[in-house]
Amino acid sequence: MKRIQDIEKLSVVELERIGADESIPVPADWHPLLPRRNTAARWSVAAAAVAVLIGLGWFGFQYEPAPKDTFDDPYLAYAAIEKTMARMSVDVNQAVIKVTEAEQRLGQIYKQR
Amino acid sequence: MKKLFILLLLLGFGVTALAQNGRQLYNKYSDSPGVEAIYISPTMFKRIGIIPDMELNDKDVNLSHVIKSMTGFYSLSASNAKVREALRKDIDKYIQSSDYELLMESKDDDEIMRIYIVGDEETITSFVMLEYEDDEINFISIDGNMNRAQMEDLLAKTVK
Repeated sequence: MKRIQDIEKLSVVELERIGADESIPVPADWHPLLPRRNTAARWSVAAAAVAVLIGLGWFGFQYEPAPKDTFDDPYLAYAAIEKTMARMSVDVNQAVIKVTEAEQRLGQIYKQR
Repeated sequence: MKKLFILLLLLGFGVTALAQNGRQLYNKYSDSPGVEAIYISPTMFKRIGIIPDMELNDKDVNLSHVIKSMTGFYSLSASNAKVREALRKDIDKYIQSSDYELLMESKDDDEIMRIYIVGDEETITSFVMLEYEDDEINFISIDGNMNRAQMEDLLAKTVK
């Protein structure tokens, strides 16, 4: 965009050309002077865009909606957790008893030897 | 450039890996025939946390501290043979593809019980318990920031 000072410096011919909306021909030797972007930088941008798209697509594919709560009442939810924890602790204790029994049997075997 | 591309790809996959949890299994099997399912959301855990401690305290074991540190609870019990088979395959895949370490395993004839956890020496961020029985599979997945010592103590005691 031109500033007022720049416009004021324009010649009459230039002002007429602008008024007529004439295009200005590009000099034949101008193209080599145009700044060229680094190929590696362009590839980096493309790679980043592809990676982001793949990431977003994968995220969308993996996204799981939240299920509906089984209980509306926190006391019922607490009771369900308590019941589950009780079952888990029974299983763990049974496993610990088995390990203890196995250790005792191994101990007896070593003593016999 | 290649390094940047690989780094960004890994970042993308890493973000999605964080999103994986027991929810996928729950959503897939909770409506299947012969499946009993329980889901407790983070919101419900917050509501449980509002219940006064005195009311939460069990006579023998105090569950309240551990329960208040939970943020998600998924439980599936499948008795249907086809569902059991499919669920077992998916559970095995899920465990193998995650950072779970085997905390405990117990085998008795055809019954297998395994406990897997994700976390460090002080905190458990994910807890999975599996029970494979002749006629039933039980899958329990708990997310949160649970104190490891409290959790292990809780499991060691018999909760009534």
